[in-house]
Amino acid sequence: MDVSQYLDIFLDETKEHLQSLSDQIMQLESDSEDMNTINEIFRAAHSLKGMAGTMGYKRMQNLTHDMENVFSEVRNGNLKVQPAMIDVLFACLDALDEYTQNIQNTADEGTNDNEPLIKRLNDLLQGGNDSAPAEQKKETKAEAPASSDSGSGAEKWNDIHLDDAQIHVIQEARKQGMECFGINVVVQDSCLLKAARAFLVFKAIEEKGEIIVSNPSAQDVEDERFDKDFTLLVVSTSSLDDLIKAAQNVSEIAAVTGAVIDLEKTKDYKPKEEAPAAGPGPASAAAPAASAAAKNTADKKPAENKQVVKRTVRVDIEKLDVLMNLVSELIIAKNSLVSATGQVQAGAGVGEHIEYLERVTTSLHESVMKVRMVPIESVVNKFPRMIRDLSKKLDKKMELYMTGEGTELDRTVVDEIGDPLMHLLRNSADHGLESAEVRAQRGKPPVGSIFLDAYQDGNNVVIEVRDDGNGIDTEAVKAKALERGVITPDQAAVMTDKEIIDLLFLPSFSTAKQVTDVSGRGVGLDVVKSKIESLSGEVEVKSQLGVGSTWTIRLPLTLAIIQSLMVNVGGEKYAISLGSIQSLESIAPSEVKLVQNKEVIYLRGAVLPLIRMDQVLDVKSIRGPEEEITVVIVKKGDKMAGLVIDELLGQLEIVIKPLGKYIKQCKFISGATILGDGEVALILDTNALI
Amino acid sequence: MDISSLKNTAQETEDGKEETTQYIVVGLGNENYGINIRYVDNIVRMQRITRVPKMPNYLIGIINLRGEVLPVVSLRLKMGLEADVYEKSTRIIILKTENEGKMGVIVDNVREVVTLGSSQVDKVDYDIKSEGKNFVTSVGKRENGELVSILDLNFITLEENTQ
Repeated sequence: MDVSQYLDIFLDETKEHLQSLSDQIMQLESDSEDMNTINEIFRAAHSLKGMAGTMGYKRMQNLTHDMENVFSEVRNGNLKVQPAMIDVLFACLDALDEYTQNIQNTADEGTNDNEPLIKRLNDLLQGGNDSAPAEQKKETKAEAPASSDSGSGAEKWNDIHLDDAQIHVIQEARKQGMECFGINVVVQDSCLLKAARAFLVFKAIEEKGEIIVSNPSAQDVEDERFDKDFTLLVVSTSSLDDLIKAAQNVSEIAAVTGAVIDLEKTKDYKPKEEAPAAGPGPASAAAPAASAAAKNTADKKPAENKQVVKRTVRVDIEKLDVLMNLVSELIIAKNSLVSATGQVQAGAGVGEHIEYLERVTTSLHESVMKVRMVPIESVVNKFPRMIRDLSKKLDKKMELYMTGEGTELDRTVVDEIGDPLMHLLRNSADHGLESAEVRAQRGKPPVGSIFLDAYQDGNNVVIEVRDDGNGIDTEAVKAKALERGVITPDQAAVMTDKEIIDLLFLPSFSTAKQVTDVSGRGVGLDVVKSKIESLSGEVEVKSQLGVGSTWTIRLPLTLAIIQSLMVNVGGEKYAISLGSIQSLESIAPSEVKLVQNKEVIYLRGAVLPLIRMDQVLDVKSIRGPEEEITVVIVKKGDKMAGLVIDELLGQLEIVIKPLGKYIKQCKFISGATILGDGEVALILDTNALI
Repeated sequence: MDISSLKNTAQETEDGKEETTQYIVVGLGNENYGINIRYVDNIVRMQRITRVPKMPNYLIGIINLRGEVLPVVSLRLKMGLEADVYEKSTRIIILKTENEGKMGVIVDNVREVVTLGSSQVDKVDYDIKSEGKNFVTSVGKRENGELVSILDLNFITLEENTQ
C-alpha cells in the first residue's frame, strides 16, 4: 500500500499523541493511581502502535507495543507505577520523538532499534508480573473493564430494534453456523474525524463478517451524527475476539466491547414465521429510520450536541502567505481608489461603493489574519516536560505554572518563539532558582516556582516568564562586565541597575559560574533578544535580588498590515501604529515645562517627556514656535511620551513593507508603506523613541 | 537610445569570437560610466523619493517600484561630486545585487548600450586609490576611441564608514 500521501496526517497525529502521552505521564507521576490517566495513556499508546503499524514503521510499532504492554499491566493493577517506570517511559517518548523526526526528515524511521529501552520495558513487566507470555491475551481482555470507565452502556446492542427482515437474516446466518455479535465501539473524545474512524471500523468488521444493523444508522454515522459511540450487530464466522481486535486496530478508538447476541433478549424479538427476505445489511431503508428513532427515545444522551467538533482543513502556510500578499495588494489598490476619488469630484454613489469596498477589504484582511493565528499552546506544551527533566538534572525541586496557552499569535511568530522561551525557562531553572538549602534559609517554599503567562495587551501579545528565585545579582553582573572589559570602572560606578541588567543581553555574556549543559554556554540572552527583535518584538527584565525575576516578551499581534495614524512632520508623511497611541492632544506652548533641561508636559496627573519629531527626523517644522503644538501620546508598556508633530492627516490601514537590508541603521523607522498615490511613507517605531 | 550603434558593435565582435559583455553607458557630469547589463533590472524616470532620516548623504531615500520599496543612492554624492540636479534626462537605474537585493542609483542620463569584447576592457592598474575613492574596476576602449569607465558595483553597495 502506498502510504506516502498519509504521511502528513500520520506525522501530525503522532505528534499529538506523543504530546498527550507526555502530558498524561506527567500527570501519572503526580498521581500514580488515577485510572482515567492510565486509560488515556493506554489509548494513546495503542493508537500510536496502530498508526505506526499501518504506515509500516516496524521499529516504532515494536516500541509502542512494549509500552502498551506496560500500560496494560498497570491498568489491570498487576503493576504499580514507580518513578523508575516514569523515567523509562519518558525515555521511550524521546525515542519515539526521534523516530518521528526521522520520518519527518527522510520518510524513514531510521535504524535505531532501541533494544535497551525495550529490554527495560520488559524488565518492568517481569518485575510486576511473571506471567509475561499471557500478556497478549490480557491485552484484549483488558478492554472490557475500560468500557465501563468510559461510561458507555455496555449492553447497548440490546436496545437495537430489529425488524422482521433483519431477524430473519440473523436466523438464516445461525443456520449456516455463523454467530451474531453485538459490538459497541467508543470513539475517543479528542477524535476529529469521527466519521472517518467509524468508516474504518465498519470496513474492518465487514472484512470479517456482515453488519446487519448499526445504531445510529450507517448514514448517520457517515454524516457524523453520533455522539461518541455506535453499536453494530454483526453476523460472522469469526470469533468475537477477532472482531473486537479488528475494530481496535483503527486508531483513535477508545474502546470496543462486544457479546454474543441472544435473540430472545433483544426487545423486538417476537417469535415469528419465515418472513419474506428483504435486502440484508444496513442499507435497507427501514432500518436507519427505525434505529434512529430508537436512539432518540432509548438513549438518555440528547442528540443535539453532536456537532461540537469543528471542521478543519490543513492548509500549507505558503498558500496563506500568497493569500496574505494578495490581500495586501488589494488594500493598496483600495487606498489608491480612495485617494483618486478624493481628487476627482466623483459622482454620487461612488463614495458609497468605496465605503463598501473598504468594509469588505477590512473584514477580508481580518479573516485572513485570523486564519494565520494559532494558539501558542503548540509551543508551550512541551515545557512542563522540559522543566521536569531539568528538575531532575539540576536536582532542584521546581514546578511550572502556565496560563494563557490559548493566546493566539501569527503562525510565523509562534514557530519562532519556542527557542527564546525555552531559553528563558532554562535560565530561570538554572540561574534563577536557588538550591534547596538556600531556599530553606531564605524561608521560601522548597519547591521553586516558574510561571509562564501569556496574554493579549492591545495590539501586542505579552509572554512573561517569572520565577521566585534569586533574581539577578547586579553586582555579579557588574563584576563580570568589568572582568570582560565590557565596561570601564568609571562607567560601572554610574550605571543604574537596569543598565547593568541590560548588559546580560550582550553577546557572550553568561554569569553562570560554571558551564552546564543546561545554560551558560554563552550563546544566550543575546540570541533571545535578537530573535525577539527580528519578530518586531522586545524583551524586558525586571528583577529583585533574592525575590525573583520577570522576563517580559512583547510581540506584535500582526506583522503585515496595521491600522495607523498618518502625521505630517516638516512636510513629510509618517505613519504611527494606532496600537501604540494613547491619545492626541493640542497643547499651548506655555504648558511645556522644563525638567532637568528636558521638555515635559503635565497631562492628567502624569508628567510626560516631549519628543520633538522635527528634531529627531532632521526636518524643519512648518509650525511657528508660538503656535499650539499637536502631541501624539504614545505608550510602551507603562511608559508614555508625547511626540510633537506638525499636523494630523488621518487614519489609514497600511501594509508594512520592509526597507531592505541596505537601510538598517535607523532605529526608529520600522518599515515603509505605500500610500494610495504611490508615494512611500515611513513608519515610525515609537517603541524605539521612548 | 541609439540602436544603430548597438548593431555596429554587435557585428564587430562577431569576427573576434571572444567573450563579450554588454554595458549600459550612463553619464555623470562629463564622464561616461558603463554598468554591466547583467546587474540592471530596470531603468525608470526620476520619481518622488522619500527621504529616510539619519542616513548617509548619498542615500537619497526610498522609492516605490511597483509595490516594492527600494533604496536609492546618488552616484554623484557617492563619488564625491556635486549633488544631483534633477532634470528631464535624470534616470534611476534599478540594480539587482546579490547581497543587498534591488536598489536604485541616480544618474544624469542614460546614453546607450555598448558591447565590449574582453580584449577591449583593461583592468585599471594605475593607482586610482590615491585620488581617494576607487569605484572603477576597468576601462573599456570603444572602436571610436571613446573610453568607458566600468563601474565597480561593490563600490555602490558597499557602506561607507568614513562618512
